[in-house]
Amino acid sequence: MGFGLVWGVLNIVNLAHGALVIIGGYITWQLFSALHIDPFLTLPVDAVALFLLGYTMQRTVINRIIKAPLLFTFLLTFGLNLILVNVLLLIFGSDFRSVTPSYSGQGFEFGKIVIPYVPLISLGVAILLSGALALILNRTRIGLAINAIAADRDAAQLVGIDLRHAYAVTYGLGAACAGVAGGLIALIQAITPTAGEPFTLQAFVVVILGGLGRVSATVVGGLAFGLVEAFGQSIPGSGSVFANAIAFGLMVLVLVTRPQGLLGRLR
Amino acid sequence: MVRGDSNRRWRRIFLILAAIAGAYALLAPLTSLDAAQSANVPLLADRLWFRLATITAMFIVMATAWNIIGGITGYAAFGNVAFFGIGAYTTGMLIAKARWPFLLSLPLAPIVAAAFAALVGLPLLRLRGHYFAVASLGVGVAVGELVQNIDYRGQPVFGGASGLFLPIYAIDNRGLFFFYLMLAAAAASIAVTWLVLRSRFGYGLIAIRENEEAAAVLGVNTTAYKVAAFSLAAALTGLAGGIFSQWNVFINQDNAFPIEYNVQMILMALLGGTGTAFGPAAGAVLLQLLIQFLGGTLPISIDIPFVSTTARPVVAQIILGLLLVAVVIFVPRGIIDFFGGRTRLSLGYLRRSLRETSL
Repeated sequence: MGFGLVWGVLNIVNLAHGALVIIGGYITWQLFSALHIDPFLTLPVDAVALFLLGYTMQRTVINRIIKAPLLFTFLLTFGLNLILVNVLLLIFGSDFRSVTPSYSGQGFEFGKIVIPYVPLISLGVAILLSGALALILNRTRIGLAINAIAADRDAAQLVGIDLRHAYAVTYGLGAACAGVAGGLIALIQAITPTAGEPFTLQAFVVVILGGLGRVSATVVGGLAFGLVEAFGQSIPGSGSVFANAIAFGLMVLVLVTRPQGLLGRLR
Repeated sequence: MVRGDSNRRWRRIFLILAAIAGAYALLAPLTSLDAAQSANVPLLADRLWFRLATITAMFIVMATAWNIIGGITGYAAFGNVAFFGIGAYTTGMLIAKARWPFLLSLPLAPIVAAAFAALVGLPLLRLRGHYFAVASLGVGVAVGELVQNIDYRGQPVFGGASGLFLPIYAIDNRGLFFFYLMLAAAAASIAVTWLVLRSRFGYGLIAIRENEEAAAVLGVNTTAYKVAAFSLAAALTGLAGGIFSQWNVFINQDNAFPIEYNVQMILMALLGGTGTAFGPAAGAVLLQLLIQFLGGTLPISIDIPFVSTTARPVVAQIILGLLLVAVVIFVPRGIIDFFGGRTRLSLGYLRRSLRETSL
């Protein structure tokens, strides 16, 4: 979601997204293992910390190349990714870290089906986050400014929107989403500093499937991606090996036939 | 007037440096021959030297090839490593499974890679901007996954996750042979770019980069031109992959489809200067030397203060990231700008580049 926001509004393909996700994961891990705070309560900390980091990154570095060809945003965010990942490696080392609260193995029984708590709450958090983001974008002053920039950057500047600030807030919001996602991911799987790359790639697929720049479209893209991946894993005899290839194949297909995304409109 | 003199001087210095580097690369390997050793010529090229030099030449090919589609045509291909892998696996499969001789199976690597590029290029090259970049990245990732995972009757077709072993190509002075082969591929790719830039084809590609609609109106068959450029880049990259597979003897998804090569080849082209014939090669040599230097594998090395030897590779990566950020922000047209006689390195230049693209 954050990835889609940054791409749709700022026209930046954020290759550092995976690193931001992992930073969120490490914050949750650190608070949980050192201070024994419930992982779900650390999520707001993730969001605030990542918002600040994202805001700073955009304000100091990424704003400098907004008018450069698109390739430069790729390379710049890749460079930032490299820096962030390796700084994490210096601080935390390359060991696997996992967050396992007492209820991590337990679930909620529904007849014969057991639904584990963690994914269930994660789903709730994801829905809440989508709602919150939609509210921010549609109801607050800065959200409307972000929408205005997405529609027409020059016109937005003419009506007095501080572009540098609004860009930085947008990137910050994107980073905050990544941070919360990272906190949730730390609950579900063990993380290492280098584990972020798949998330960047998956974010690509999700955003393309849904279409750029709208929260609702990204949610649909996320669901579609989840289904396709689960379907890929259930092909008999192949195990999970084709999940990625199918997801990326689908992405390329959508790009070629419906570049505005499954739900999107042509701009 | 003064400025013109200075530019000409820089140009001359650049040419002399390039000539020295070229002569060194060409002659140093010869000192490893038995004849030279028995004549007490000092050994300038050991096994490590060959390994580094061959990899550097490999990156020259990839960066120069990327430049054809990314720099000259202006289509930001982000999945070129797929062609490297396809080349590697074409040659690898022909040698390991069909028992073809190396020199017969090598030419098929560029052919298969180019054919694949033409096939995926027809739909993909209709996309523009970010969409093309992301779609090509998707193709790159998907091809790597497919190659590793395709099974036929329970047997992995391409060696699967355990990779593909090739019989060793028995030849005297193996390191020397493969280095010269890779160097020849590098020279060929630079020569091809040079020819393209001076041909009607090249002017068509530049027209597409500057304004595709206008190019079409002027009678450039944009689809054919773009696909041809993409295939040409794929052929050269595939050739490097084919040589790599026999040189390295072992290929798997990790070393034939490494996603980070995508970024490295683009960074090299960018560092050197996109759209020029020699820029990407210069960038490849420079960046490769820097990576090896920071990694501590070069014979000349310095200790980075306050950094333990175990943390060194990590710190090297951080420095590389910082460098990447700095290049993108401050030197967006590549270092060839300074040598090509167009401008001079100065604080004013850095400030101008910064202001041009800032918000």
